[in-house]
Amino acid sequence: MRIFWLYFRVGVMNELQYRVNFFIQLLQALIALGVGLAGLALVFQHTTSLDGWSETELLAVVGVYTIMGGLINMAIQPNMQRLMNEVQDGTLDYALTKPADSQLIISVREVRIWQVVDIITGAVVLGVAVAQLGATIGVWEALAFAAALLMGGLLIYSFWIIATTGAFWVVRMDNILELFQGIYQSGRWPVTIYPEWLQVGLTFLIPVAFAVTVPAEALTGRLTWQTLALAGALTVALLGFARWFWRRGLRRYSGASA
Amino acid sequence: MQPTIHVVDLCKTYQVPEREEGFGAAFKSLFRRKMRAVKAVDAITLDVGQGEVVGFLGPNGAGKTTTLKMLAGLLFPTGGTVEVLGHVPFKRQRDYLRQMTLVMGNRNQLQWDIPALDSFNLNRAIYRLPTKAYRQMRDELIDLMGVSDLVHKPVRNLSLGERMKVEIIGSLLHQPKVLFLDEPTIGLDVTMQRKIRAFLAEYNQRHGATVLLTSHYMADIEALCKRVIVIHHGKLLFDGNLSDLAAQFSSYKTVSVTVEDPALDLSAYGEVITREGERITLRIPKAETSRVTSRLLGEQPILDLTIEDPPIEEVIERVFAQEAVV
Amino acid sequence: MSGVLNMISFYLTTMKTAVVVQFQYRVSNYLYMLGMVAEPIIYLVVWTTVARAQGGAVGGITAGGFAAYYIVWTLVRNINIVFTPYGWEARIQRGQLSGQLLRPLHPIHYDLAYFAGWKFVVVFLWLPIAAVLALIFHPTLSATPTDVVAFALALACAYLIRSIFLWILGMITFWTTRVSAIFELYMALELLLSGRLLPLTLLPPWAQTISNFLPFQWTFNFPIEALIGGYSTQHLLLGLAAQLGWVVGGFAVLQLVWRAGVGRFTSVGN
Repeated sequence: MRIFWLYFRVGVMNELQYRVNFFIQLLQALIALGVGLAGLALVFQHTTSLDGWSETELLAVVGVYTIMGGLINMAIQPNMQRLMNEVQDGTLDYALTKPADSQLIISVREVRIWQVVDIITGAVVLGVAVAQLGATIGVWEALAFAAALLMGGLLIYSFWIIATTGAFWVVRMDNILELFQGIYQSGRWPVTIYPEWLQVGLTFLIPVAFAVTVPAEALTGRLTWQTLALAGALTVALLGFARWFWRRGLRRYSGASA
Repeated sequence: MQPTIHVVDLCKTYQVPEREEGFGAAFKSLFRRKMRAVKAVDAITLDVGQGEVVGFLGPNGAGKTTTLKMLAGLLFPTGGTVEVLGHVPFKRQRDYLRQMTLVMGNRNQLQWDIPALDSFNLNRAIYRLPTKAYRQMRDELIDLMGVSDLVHKPVRNLSLGERMKVEIIGSLLHQPKVLFLDEPTIGLDVTMQRKIRAFLAEYNQRHGATVLLTSHYMADIEALCKRVIVIHHGKLLFDGNLSDLAAQFSSYKTVSVTVEDPALDLSAYGEVITREGERITLRIPKAETSRVTSRLLGEQPILDLTIEDPPIEEVIERVFAQEAVV
Repeated sequence: MSGVLNMISFYLTTMKTAVVVQFQYRVSNYLYMLGMVAEPIIYLVVWTTVARAQGGAVGGITAGGFAAYYIVWTLVRNINIVFTPYGWEARIQRGQLSGQLLRPLHPIHYDLAYFAGWKFVVVFLWLPIAAVLALIFHPTLSATPTDVVAFALALACAYLIRSIFLWILGMITFWTTRVSAIFELYMALELLLSGRLLPLTLLPPWAQTISNFLPFQWTFNFPIEALIGGYSTQHLLLGLAAQLGWVVGGFAVLQLVWRAGVGRFTSVGN
């Protein structure tokens, strides 16, 4: 935890030097949000409900989507990109010689602090949506939402660790980023609208369902305890697998460079 | 005869943004920035004849690259006139571009992922070279550089020096009459540097091309250029033969003597620079050279005595150091 | 005449280079294309869901119609990949533009030729993707030979229009380095008003009016509809003429901006 804070502080201080980036990030966040809302409005011009979700409920989905996207871009993706580059250039050794857990180190080295703008924008949208829904959010709903969001984040993190560790075997992984971003977009809508085979992929292969749809379900009174339990079990399993896979990748890396 | 390169009172002034502190200023600077004028090249006048090889000397930021870029047509002068081959470079007329080339060390013009040979072919189309003449020139250059095996490999698989070799070939396929070379050997090992030097000298011989060259390595300049131009703080300090440079700028001579007794103390005659066994080297002010040497020969048991200009690198270092103080 | 021959030779050589290079990166290309396929599938699924809820069709478009639209979309999108403003940023920062300025050829020819060559690889890789999509989503498609010819021409024009306008946008880098927000704004407008997000007929009338004054619809909506929209020959010819107009006008603007930009580039130093 202390290592996390140290890296976090260095990252923040670095980025604070480029304050203009804040305004650019703000502008980009607003543009992205504008497009998202316009898309929503266009769809609901022609219908009143999408697979049982009302426009306001989908607004909540957009909010969660934006928050999670901000988190990914702030903390997960930059680290994984750096890791991939280092595996390619063979410069990973610096990180591995530090006297701390290697998986922890490679996960916390980069922080894009201005992405916090996305998180805030998403939170505002979510707040507006929840207020419009008028449903009372009790302690349990709030807790379930927080838990679902946390597990969603951890699942995405595990996915990224596994995918990036693949770089130890297949060096050219650059476009996995494009692939992920393309697929993450599907989270703008509840995954239940997709054909079943796609739903399976979006739930277990690339866990967009747990990252966006499930937290949104918690706030719209759709979440069942079975789903939450499944999310918990999957999180534990994927975290464990990611750790095991990372270790194997590392063994291969040290073997190859020795 | 009209000189190949004709430059009169060439000036270049840059507007550079002034950095301001603080959040508000950073935001304001997005829209309007305070500017400050910096003179990079200040009233340079020079002529270069056809077939000459001229070296540009000067410390970093002296204005060498700026001058070279103005000659090539990449920069618009703020004052003075430039003519190369009868063209005004910054108009970048096709007729001019087909007769010149600019090579910058560390810059890559060739396609990264394909063999250099294929990139050469692309240049053939760009410069509209007749196939036969192109092939002949290509093979001549490849042979001269000794890279017939390298041109079949993707450029990304070549070492830095190998890349520079094929890069230079690529920029000479259209048989330019004027070559601007900005640090062509930077970062290369000595063997590579020597090879490229020999290649450039041979190209100059065979095709009578005019060459302007900047380099950090004195060896490049010494091997290739009879004439050097020294620029410092944008001003032309010297234009003439390499050998005259020392004569003009050094106020010292180096006097080496061979003596029988290595312990002999000669510090009364001048500053002792080195002492290697029986060989002692002194630095003596130019004006006093003849007086001091005759005293030395008269008063001390000297076996052998030579008077030399100090090494060129040392001279130049001193020129720039002095200039900085002034 | 030899000028034309040399130009053709330049285009062919550059295109061949692009094919060789991009074929080396086919795995990378494939991953990229797969990521891109996610976008139209999402739109397709959303609109199919809406169509079903509305009793089978939205604005006269059935599920099969949507499937046809978005599958053709994938080809149009791939043809529409051109030299981006981000490429411009890198080109100036890495000093590659200097070298290009000193060649006796306008640099846009290289970009047009290179990306056109790349298309051969892209279309080759796209065919199986299209086949799989068609098997899954059952498009309803009936195109006449005239439609197919018009579609091919429209694709070529769409490629030129998008190349030209993104080139112009990229040249903003000559004046300022903080342009990503402007790029994003452009992309957002394109997404909404080109037919990329949804067929233009589903836009509210006022938005359709706006899009009539912008180049965007000629790069997505028109080529797609040329193939599947059952347009009359007259409609097709008018559309192609409009595309040509945007190409010519865009190129004139491009030349103006290019001259101004290079003027600035060569006076501020680089």
